[in-house]
Amino acid sequence: MTDSPRTDSPGPNAPGARSPERRSLLIEEAALDDWLRDGMCVALGGLATACHAMIAVRHMVRRGLRDLTVVGSAVGGLDVDLLVGAGCVKKVICPYVGAEALASIGPFYRAAAERGLIEVWECDEGQYYAGLQAAGQMLPFMPTRGGVGTSYPEVNPDLRLFTDPVNGETLVAVPAIEPDVALLHAAQADVYGNVQFVGTGYADRLLWRAAHRTLVQVEKVVSNEEIRRSPERTALLAHGVLRAPYGAHPFSSPGFYLEDRAHIGELVEAGRAFARRGDRDPFERYLDRYVRKPADHVAYLEAVGLRRLLALGEY
Amino acid sequence: MASASAPPALDAPPSTKELMAAFLARDMADGEEIFVGTNLPVVRAGALLAHLHHGPSMRVMVAHTRTNLHHTPVMEYFELLTDWRAARWAEAYFNDSEIVTYQKSRRDSVFFVGALQVDPFGNSNLIGLGTDQRRLALRGPGAIATTTNAAHVRRFYLFVNEHSPRVFVPRCDFVSTVGWAQGGADARRRLGLPGGGPRYCVTPLAVMDFEESSRRMRLHSVHPGVTVDEVRARTGFPLLVPDHVPVTPAPTAEELAILRRRVDPQGLLRR
Repeated sequence: MTDSPRTDSPGPNAPGARSPERRSLLIEEAALDDWLRDGMCVALGGLATACHAMIAVRHMVRRGLRDLTVVGSAVGGLDVDLLVGAGCVKKVICPYVGAEALASIGPFYRAAAERGLIEVWECDEGQYYAGLQAAGQMLPFMPTRGGVGTSYPEVNPDLRLFTDPVNGETLVAVPAIEPDVALLHAAQADVYGNVQFVGTGYADRLLWRAAHRTLVQVEKVVSNEEIRRSPERTALLAHGVLRAPYGAHPFSSPGFYLEDRAHIGELVEAGRAFARRGDRDPFERYLDRYVRKPADHVAYLEAVGLRRLLALGEY
Repeated sequence: MASASAPPALDAPPSTKELMAAFLARDMADGEEIFVGTNLPVVRAGALLAHLHHGPSMRVMVAHTRTNLHHTPVMEYFELLTDWRAARWAEAYFNDSEIVTYQKSRRDSVFFVGALQVDPFGNSNLIGLGTDQRRLALRGPGAIATTTNAAHVRRFYLFVNEHSPRVFVPRCDFVSTVGWAQGGADARRRLGLPGGGPRYCVTPLAVMDFEESSRRMRLHSVHPGVTVDEVRARTGFPLLVPDHVPVTPAPTAEELAILRRRVDPQGLLRR
């Protein structure tokens, strides 16, 4: 870019004014510190055993963040369980935490919830999505019918029954769920934050709509030309992009790799040792090996091992 | 995914799980839209059996994969909701937030609800056991989308893997999904719930339905080899029992062949 000589302070948009470069939104892993703080409300994308933003999740554990409100995905995974186990979480907002057949419920989540160590904002998926929609639409609440006649308004006083002014029906008012930041994992983006998924992207778009800012980890950072080749695939605009090959590991990333069942099993067993026997050692060993000792994502992948990672790519 | 151990012989007598799947299948009509969750092999088998046996125009949602298998020999079993290899069988893939939010598209569909507890009116609990939500004796898996879906769908089935007084209780500790509320023919209409409510409750011992005027749970049929007294004893509240209780019909040879060759070649229902 060539510098044209400055005349007397033209307005930023005046003809002949120097155009700044288009700003790259690519961040380095260390810059996650600028995004994440104690006490924040953090939304985690993906679903169940897929596409959780695990670089960001491990970063929060490594930094020892505290008092987080975690908005897990609608079928929240063990990303939430890891944060609960590491003591980062004050409150969980999502209808489920677990890994389905691999762990019907997250062991740390269950233990912490039963012992009253975390607050669980009870909801079903319909209410959860309604709260995110309210935030995205800048509305104080969204009505749902799901929940009428159930215990939800009792077990979660934020869900209030009200009489709808149009038809006089009794409905549930779900207050806006407004994450400070959404942490997502996707297939690809350019440095300007144009994010494209392989697959549906689950409810990541809704988390993006609801959150104040969105950071997206991507398997590949691609050129702007690559994005323009299929602009209809661009699903959302990130505020920050993090280079993240294998960044959802141990969970799957559609089109790239399947979930690492052995690794998930290690995490689940560590959680169960604590939940059932009060034995925290296996989890501390897990954290040492995979979270504390690796200084960054590449070191984490080295700890997991190339042989294991390459075995996850087969159909 | 396929297990390493070989499935049992194709000519073995029907298992209880196959019987339950066949019962569900016969209650589904061609043209219906069926939503199967994940990790529910019997429900999945029932829906796919109906589809392949008498429902060529059915649309079956297995997790997020909407499929029609009419011309497809086998649909492999996938354990996880997000297994993207299931795309091989998909006609469409649905976004989770959309299928839960836009219930109008599901008002004619069929759905299944699991439970930790079920009461005499088919209200059910996935939240947990205990009295204080902040200190549950047992935290359940949570309602997932059952609260909202069961409020709207044409009908749903309660499906429980354990028939015992722990599960069938006079009153649920918490209600996450409304069945027939406090009872009465119009119980759901009074609450403003548009969906048709629970039609049957299917367990390894029996099938129950809900008596039309009181909407109390009533014994519909007992599985082969199970007695009415046994079901009564394993239910923690008085069941309505008609004078004649039929035996749940066994799957036909044709149904078994479809189940074993096309729906469940791994034999998950025979273990």
